[in-house]
Amino acid sequence: MWRIRIHGRGGQGIKTASQILGSAGFYSGFQAQDFPLYGAERRGAPVIAFTRVSEDPILERGPISSPDIILIGDETLLNDPQSAPLCGAEPSTVVFVNSAQVPEVLSQKFSVTTTNLTDLCFQYLNHRTVYSSALSAVGARLLGNIELECLLRAVEDELIQQGISSQLLQGNLDLAREIFEMIQPVAVSQREEKGLTAKPLVFPSQLPVVDGAPIILDPGNMALRKTGNWRVERPEIDYEKCNNCLICYARCPDGVIGVAPDGRPEIDYDHCKGCLICALECPGHFIHTVKETGTFP
Amino acid sequence: MKVLTRAHKKIKDLHPHEAIAPGTGLCAGCGGLEGLRLGLKELDDDFLICNAAGCFTLLSVYPFTPLQGSWLYTTMGGPVPAAQGVRDALDIRMRYRGLEEKENLQVIVVAGDGSSNDIGFGATSAAIHRGLDFIYFCYDNEAYGNTGFQLSAASPYGGATQTTPRTDEHEAGTEVNKKDLFEIWKAQKPVYLATVSPREPIDLSNKFARANELKGPRMFICMSPCPTGWGFEPKEAQLIAKLAVDTGIFPIKEYFEGEVVHTVRPRKRLPVEKFLERQKRFRHLFEPHRQEETIRQIQNRVDDYWRQYE
Repeated sequence: MWRIRIHGRGGQGIKTASQILGSAGFYSGFQAQDFPLYGAERRGAPVIAFTRVSEDPILERGPISSPDIILIGDETLLNDPQSAPLCGAEPSTVVFVNSAQVPEVLSQKFSVTTTNLTDLCFQYLNHRTVYSSALSAVGARLLGNIELECLLRAVEDELIQQGISSQLLQGNLDLAREIFEMIQPVAVSQREEKGLTAKPLVFPSQLPVVDGAPIILDPGNMALRKTGNWRVERPEIDYEKCNNCLICYARCPDGVIGVAPDGRPEIDYDHCKGCLICALECPGHFIHTVKETGTFP
Repeated sequence: MKVLTRAHKKIKDLHPHEAIAPGTGLCAGCGGLEGLRLGLKELDDDFLICNAAGCFTLLSVYPFTPLQGSWLYTTMGGPVPAAQGVRDALDIRMRYRGLEEKENLQVIVVAGDGSSNDIGFGATSAAIHRGLDFIYFCYDNEAYGNTGFQLSAASPYGGATQTTPRTDEHEAGTEVNKKDLFEIWKAQKPVYLATVSPREPIDLSNKFARANELKGPRMFICMSPCPTGWGFEPKEAQLIAKLAVDTGIFPIKEYFEGEVVHTVRPRKRLPVEKFLERQKRFRHLFEPHRQEETIRQIQNRVDDYWRQYE
């Protein structure tokens, strides 16, 4: 069995990538399983999805803790403790990062492949950064045992279900083909399933309310959670032209644009999720958007 | 008595206070969060939010809270009964147990359209009937958004949801009309009732400032563009909210002392397509072929509504 874990952000097509990869494996004659990690599947928030492909029936269930292949769709996740994409990786694990450069720290420990999928998606998908077909093509190629036509059939099947336009579907198919030809397969060794085990029975005990009920006594402490790494693009105010109309301040859903004592709007980059409403709404278009690049651990 | 103060005239008059700290796990570009943020600016921090299960569950994730006030998490059907309990407890303690007036809290219910229209609907009606002193904030993203966008009674005709997708048998997707919650609530004559849009911050703030001065059931329905469920780029959230108002699909109005007033009127109503064509949930109305009849029905419904007031 091969276990593939895919990391990315909500809205980047991570769940769909796991579905395409599962279907592609199935069409190639394997047994397959794919599912996302249930929870906060929010646009911009870290998302994890899993695919298992096997010659034999798959009895294993639940999230993959020690994957054979890790596909990372967003390089900014590498040092995100919530996402922890390298968690459970072993020296034999094949790691793929969507990035223009090969991170040195990673290549010392793992067999790392990188490709700049973002630029390819911009080119093929009309400036969208949705990695569903791109990442599944990478996964299929790295596995090495999935045929190109099975992959394309899976892309078509899964994306049509999502109501994609025919023009965009063609772009996805071309993109998948291009990536499939670009990536070199890596020998991924099969690992057998572990035997099924059960946890010992735990008897419930009664706790006092203070221990049992979640009570928070520190108002506004949510600010300790930084959501700044959700951004794909960063808004930047051009202060030479900004006339302090404060429309951006009024329109920011998260309230991360504050007003400085001199009346200027200021963006709190620790928390800005990068929705870019401010950039679109600025009447004079004085807020520019700059693509975020990743920092490696 | 109609002493209605219009406190704000321009953006710079907005209250500088932020009652919601950043860092919440809600989607980037959430229209409902923007509505709640602007609304809470007008209330002081002595509030208690009874939050129904839904998207805004993610407001507070243990051990973190974005709020300066209190937050009580309830089931999807339970926010209003919870509000009644909190209100009663405060009243009884103030009257008999020496709780000081300054310890009093403004009780606010925050619930989605699923809770408001379906699951918590009966309890809300009962609370308005009893004249419960509370503020109700319904963020209406027109489906059960938190679980993956399934049909609610607020889902519009012609939109696709996960449980009512476009199929060959059901070309329009959703084939029932959105429940008119405003009219239903209005029939019970609450003290104050208003629809608000995050795109109209001045109007929204004025309405909350007014509600803050009143006592009794004060109800808000907030148009909440949902990038994830409706299928548009997060940056377009406010643009979509604007188009909902400009096409007349979402009328911004208030009900006070027996009278309905449209506080923001679209000058010249745009065709509904302008609103529909930008969202993935309506894409099947335009591709692969244009569903003229469905679009006409949506337009007719909007026209019929405005004819009553023009």
